Amino acid sequence: MKFDVIIIGGGHAGSRVACGLQDSGLKCAVITSGRSIHGTTLAGFEKKGGIVFADDQITNTCIQDSKIVCVRTEKIGQIALEAEHYVIATGKFFSKGLVADMKKVWEPIFGLDVEYNEDRSAWYAESFADHQPFLDFGVKVDESCRPSIEGKTVKNLYAVGEILAGVSCAEKDDLAAVDAGADKVIDIIKAQ
Amino acid sequence: MNNHQDFDVIVIGGGITGAGTARDCSMRGLKVLLIERHDIANGATGRNHGLLHSGARYAVKDAESAEECIKENQILRKIASHCVDDTQGLFITLPEDADTGYGLDYQKTFVEACLKSGISAKVIDPKDAIRMEPSVNPTLIGAVQVPDGSVDPFRLCSSNVVDAQLHGAKVLTYTEVTGFLKNGDTIEGVKVRNAITGEEAEYRAPVTVNAAGIWGHNIAQMAGVNIGMYPAKGALLVFAHRVNNVVINRCRKSADGDILVPGDSVTVIGTTSTKVPFEECDHMHVTPEEVDLLLREGCALCPSLATTRILRAYAGVRPLVAADDDPTGRSISRGIVCLDHETRDGVKGFISITGGKLMTYRLMAEIATDAVCKKLNSSAQCQTATTPLPGSETSGVKEVSKKLWGSATQGQKAAAGRLGSRAAEVEFSSPEDKQLVCECENVTLAEIKYAVKHLNVNTMEDLRRRTRVGMGTCQGTFCIHKAAKALAIAKGEPESADKLAADFLDERWKGMKAVGWGDTLREMEFMQKVYKAGKPDTYKD
Repeated sequence: MKFDVIIIGGGHAGSRVACGLQDSGLKCAVITSGRSIHGTTLAGFEKKGGIVFADDQITNTCIQDSKIVCVRTEKIGQIALEAEHYVIATGKFFSKGLVADMKKVWEPIFGLDVEYNEDRSAWYAESFADHQPFLDFGVKVDESCRPSIEGKTVKNLYAVGEILAGVSCAEKDDLAAVDAGADKVIDIIKAQ
Repeated sequence: MNNHQDFDVIVIGGGITGAGTARDCSMRGLKVLLIERHDIANGATGRNHGLLHSGARYAVKDAESAEECIKENQILRKIASHCVDDTQGLFITLPEDADTGYGLDYQKTFVEACLKSGISAKVIDPKDAIRMEPSVNPTLIGAVQVPDGSVDPFRLCSSNVVDAQLHGAKVLTYTEVTGFLKNGDTIEGVKVRNAITGEEAEYRAPVTVNAAGIWGHNIAQMAGVNIGMYPAKGALLVFAHRVNNVVINRCRKSADGDILVPGDSVTVIGTTSTKVPFEECDHMHVTPEEVDLLLREGCALCPSLATTRILRAYAGVRPLVAADDDPTGRSISRGIVCLDHETRDGVKGFISITGGKLMTYRLMAEIATDAVCKKLNSSAQCQTATTPLPGSETSGVKEVSKKLWGSATQGQKAAAGRLGSRAAEVEFSSPEDKQLVCECENVTLAEIKYAVKHLNVNTMEDLRRRTRVGMGTCQGTFCIHKAAKALAIAKGEPESADKLAADFLDERWKGMKAVGWGDTLREMEFMQKVYKAGKPDTYKD
């Protein structure tokens, strides 16, 4: 199955990118582990021809020459989902966009490079009220919002929302920054 | 400054030893004053496994402790039935234990030692052990069933305090002893300061009992005597659900992290044992090394712990005492130590009761009270081994809740479980009273009101220790504000709700960040979002 853009994550940021690109005439698909798509933001997305793979998750990815070729999901594993561009918007820890064990933090779908402190004792502030450093962890991107794997930029993948290093809506109202990032990615993809 | 002189005995320390001593003294007709600088059950009492030891753990090395344990085990089942969960226990032998000399030969030694101490220890087939406790490590090669159980130390301590009060004792929490009233070589009373209001007072009694656990070291120094105490830190981890229904122990020489105890809605693994300086006793932190060790050993008992969310980590301090004749402190006793400072140090009217453990608190209280009575020339006999604690007069949650309410709600059943027959005092008069405030632990508004009215509750932590509010899987994420508001209103200080909530969040955070990875870190991000999103300054002072 081939699309122009596959968006991984159906939260606020993923939905905004999906709607924006579908509106401009691109054929988009959203893969979300959520039971349903993100409420009103995605209203109309399916009506305009967008496809939503809800309650599903990516089990397999194929990457060649720093380009994503296709992804497969748990529910329709036999069919490869292909696209020109991919957007990852899977959020931080709570939504499992990032995973942490006792020693490290990683991005579980592509193994993207993640910015975090290797000293676990520095992940948290003493007091609940203070700024929590672990909320700054996230994937690193270049000026075109593209993350990297082992230092090499993935050419057709863009990251938006809370999965980004330094972006979190937990402690401050970062929604404007999330929206601006999503809109920037919409413009970059549209321009290609 | 107030002057009071109408007590027979002053007990310092609101842990289980002090609470038990206050109860015993008051039941023997003495006028008792119990003083605690924070809240009851705040020290080691509330920071352990909550294991109702069968004594099997001590049988091989320390028959005396084992015998004390099994006797008290049987007594607590009767007098504190609403605090005890008869889970039974297993001592398992793993294949690798044979390499360290603790194979099935040791099991034989272990069982013999148990039987000699009066502990019923039954060797069972490993297959039957798995049937009895499906979460146990399936590679086990040996299993022994013993009468272990779990005991809720908060409930136990609170019931002792309540009974002391019912027998006329006066209880002062958040009251710190700042000095002693001395007349020559006689202690005649204490000087105290209220930790909340700063108000100072003096209380007089012919006998003062130091039952302050590890903090008893400083109390003794204040009185001019020296007890060679050694703070031994023990760290534990709490898992997010009740993984096992039977206590699982390792059948070998006692080591770190070899006891897994189910308690209410959670499971606890522990402990470690590290000597720490006295300055650290008030600020316990669990280190990454301790967490690693507990997880590793815990997984050997029960492999599914590796994938179970850890709720939090905590640590307590055992008050170990060096033998008087050993200045090096090497021969440390874990047994009960009762010191009459008149014969030992020439200081009259002062007794210290320390050492021991949660399991033997009642016996410690009996020994201390005997010493008090001897000083006061009283021949009153101890009745605590046979008289049920308040709440345990009728046994069984079902009977209690059926008798009280016919068909009980979840919240009422939970209240009956926590308070036993005392749940009759909880007033479910309006529909709001029946509403659940804490949904993890089924705590109703009515139970919170009851705790504030009858159980000396000042802070959210105090409320947690009485009701288990905020102790469940969400660690208070969904109920802190509801509970803090209910507490603030019940205290008559509605404006204090935010401060109460903020303090509680900080305390929960302390325990969570020690284990902040995996699903626990997910919960932590969620908690931050629930309480801080869009309002970053709400929880700043």
